[in-house]
Amino acid sequence: MKNPSIRDILYEPPGPKARRRIGITTAAALLLIAGLIYLIIRQFAENGQLDARYWSFFGRATTWRFLGEGLLSTVEAALTGALIAFAVGFVLMRGRLNRFAVIRFVSAAIIEFTRGVPTLLFIYLFFLVVPQTGWELSSFWKITLPCAISACGVVAEALRSGVNAVPKGQREAALSLGFGEIRLFYQILFPQAIRFVIPSLIAELVIVLKDTTFASVVSYADLMQNAKVLISNYDAMLSVYLVVAVIYILINYLLNKLSEYLARRMNRGAEGRTS
Amino acid sequence: MTESNVPVIELRHVDKHFGTLHVLKDISLSVNRGEVVVIIGPSGSGKSTLCRTVNRLETIDSGEILIEGVPIPPEGKKLAAMRRQIGMVFQSFNLFAHMTILENVVAAPRSILKQNKKDARAEALRLLERVGVADQKDKVPAQLSGGQQQRAAIARALAMHPKAMLFDEPTSALDPEMIGEVLSVMTELAGEGMTMLIVTHEMNFARRVADRVIFMDGGAIVEENTPEEFFAHPQSQRAKDFLSSISEH
Amino acid sequence: MSISALLDKYGSLYLQAMLTTWRLTVISFAGAMAIGLIITVIRVCPIKPLRYLGDFYVQIFRNIPGAAMLILLVYALPYLKLNFPYETCVLIATIMIPSAFCSEHLMSGMNTIAPGQIEAARALGFSFFQMIRRIVIPQALRSAVLPLTNLLVATMLTTSLASQVPMRPRDLTGIVSYINTRDVGGVLAFAISAALYCLTALLLGQLGGWIDRKVRILR
Repeated sequence: MKNPSIRDILYEPPGPKARRRIGITTAAALLLIAGLIYLIIRQFAENGQLDARYWSFFGRATTWRFLGEGLLSTVEAALTGALIAFAVGFVLMRGRLNRFAVIRFVSAAIIEFTRGVPTLLFIYLFFLVVPQTGWELSSFWKITLPCAISACGVVAEALRSGVNAVPKGQREAALSLGFGEIRLFYQILFPQAIRFVIPSLIAELVIVLKDTTFASVVSYADLMQNAKVLISNYDAMLSVYLVVAVIYILINYLLNKLSEYLARRMNRGAEGRTS
Repeated sequence: MTESNVPVIELRHVDKHFGTLHVLKDISLSVNRGEVVVIIGPSGSGKSTLCRTVNRLETIDSGEILIEGVPIPPEGKKLAAMRRQIGMVFQSFNLFAHMTILENVVAAPRSILKQNKKDARAEALRLLERVGVADQKDKVPAQLSGGQQQRAAIARALAMHPKAMLFDEPTSALDPEMIGEVLSVMTELAGEGMTMLIVTHEMNFARRVADRVIFMDGGAIVEENTPEEFFAHPQSQRAKDFLSSISEH
Repeated sequence: MSISALLDKYGSLYLQAMLTTWRLTVISFAGAMAIGLIITVIRVCPIKPLRYLGDFYVQIFRNIPGAAMLILLVYALPYLKLNFPYETCVLIATIMIPSAFCSEHLMSGMNTIAPGQIEAARALGFSFFQMIRRIVIPQALRSAVLPLTNLLVATMLTTSLASQVPMRPRDLTGIVSYINTRDVGGVLAFAISAALYCLTALLLGQLGGWIDRKVRILR
């Protein structure tokens, strides 16, 4: 049976008075929302922001090609960053579960460090500090590496919780079958753990994608940076930034939905197995 | 009509649907003061739903439900006030997870009846003593066995001094060795003259404690009789089938 | 630059920066909790359009990148004759984005409450608001302690947005860029800020863990 949300449990089936009250408040709420939308539109209209010159260029293919190129660079940076974060996070997770206390401690310290420092600070590290050492990185790596570092600790902890979620009995069963520790980990524990944590890995991808919007700090030509070019071409600040914000929101929304869907499907699967 | 003649709980021609499923079909029944009525029947027969309509945890489509002759109010403060008079014990105990056992029993008398702390506490301890879990009073529900939780839940309901108690399959979620301790609390309660409407699968308990047995199947009351008569001479084929199916276990 | 030279020259600025980050964090988190609570009430109220409005708010602000929101506030809103000081713009972003997550945590906190307990409260005769006050809110808050602690740390990290506007005094991130554009601060300038962030995060995490152990609900 699917778990009903708290929204539905909190209220009893309404009686006649409650139904009337709900009806009236619903009407009032609809009016309020309509009023809000009206106010927003009026604010746009009064300031001339609904003029065709601010919106007509969105009808041109070149505009979208240009934004698309920016988006592609954004996705490239985000995916590369996420992949690096996954690899480093995996190593940190193995370190966190290592049998030597020193390695466990060092891994935990690195994880805590990356989780406690803002991405922007890492970006400044790569933008301002690293060049002082004479190490010249391209703008792509200047945005991708900080985002990856910022995410790897979270990824490590997600992976660890996945490994810990595999039932203890499996470990014992595998050991009794003569599996070595390494084969036990890679053949039994990790394949199951990764399935548990795919939803939180996707959620982390959203965070990396958001972090790449700081690319303008290092002048990497991502979606945000290309938006700026459009703005100076058409002198249309508000409309372009709004459209770009909506693009980001939509992508992240869809990724989050995917993550929730996978989590739900996995829970159903788990219930099916146990009952 | 004197007060004692009015049934504590009365259902008149109650009907209810879940979508296309007709779960309660023209149900009429009454429970008089001090009476113990046990509802039995196969699962899915609507007996649990029936029990839950009495304090409007389930709504009905048509018919009437009266508590001491007064129709149950549809909502609001009046409904809450009516519910205070009817205690309920659930299959899954439903103790408040964030409170200790004592706090569970004290919560409603304090918040709703505005009893002072000392009185509510003393009363709660007396009730916990009575159901035999006084020594667990400072633990939280998750630390207790199912049987202990259910007995505490009975104490919680009794703390509101209800005029009648509803039991919705109170032992169905319990391990076999714990069923006895809950049933003995219920038996004691019946002996003290509490008005009770009980949905259960425990046939021996029904035979011993019930004043009247109601057999439900397919959302309708099929048979209503004294326990002696019902268990010895079931009238309908469905009751016969049901009794023989459970005696095989 | 050695650490003593760095601290001699910029020590008081670092102190100011740390206090600024703390101040922004406290204001943002308090604001986020307040708005998150209101949004949560709206999301569980029985009025359908308000629920959708609450859901819409949460989806917008949990999915918008902080940088995009700040740019909208600072550069785009003036075109609608909505001019805010820089610090206000930063605070709007660092309140509204975490408030969406706050609401999500409160919602899942509420969803940990077994439906049976709501029924039990009803059967005992609790009124709707008594039930909310005595059963729903205590349980939701107590099971949201750890997620809200993480949110507090995340809010602190989000306040680094302040470094993107010319705001005085600078925050812990802004100071690193300031020092490194004037001096060769090297990795040290970065490390001091990072250590201060990390220490704060660690302390907050410990505090949250301690509270959680005190109030955790056994199930």
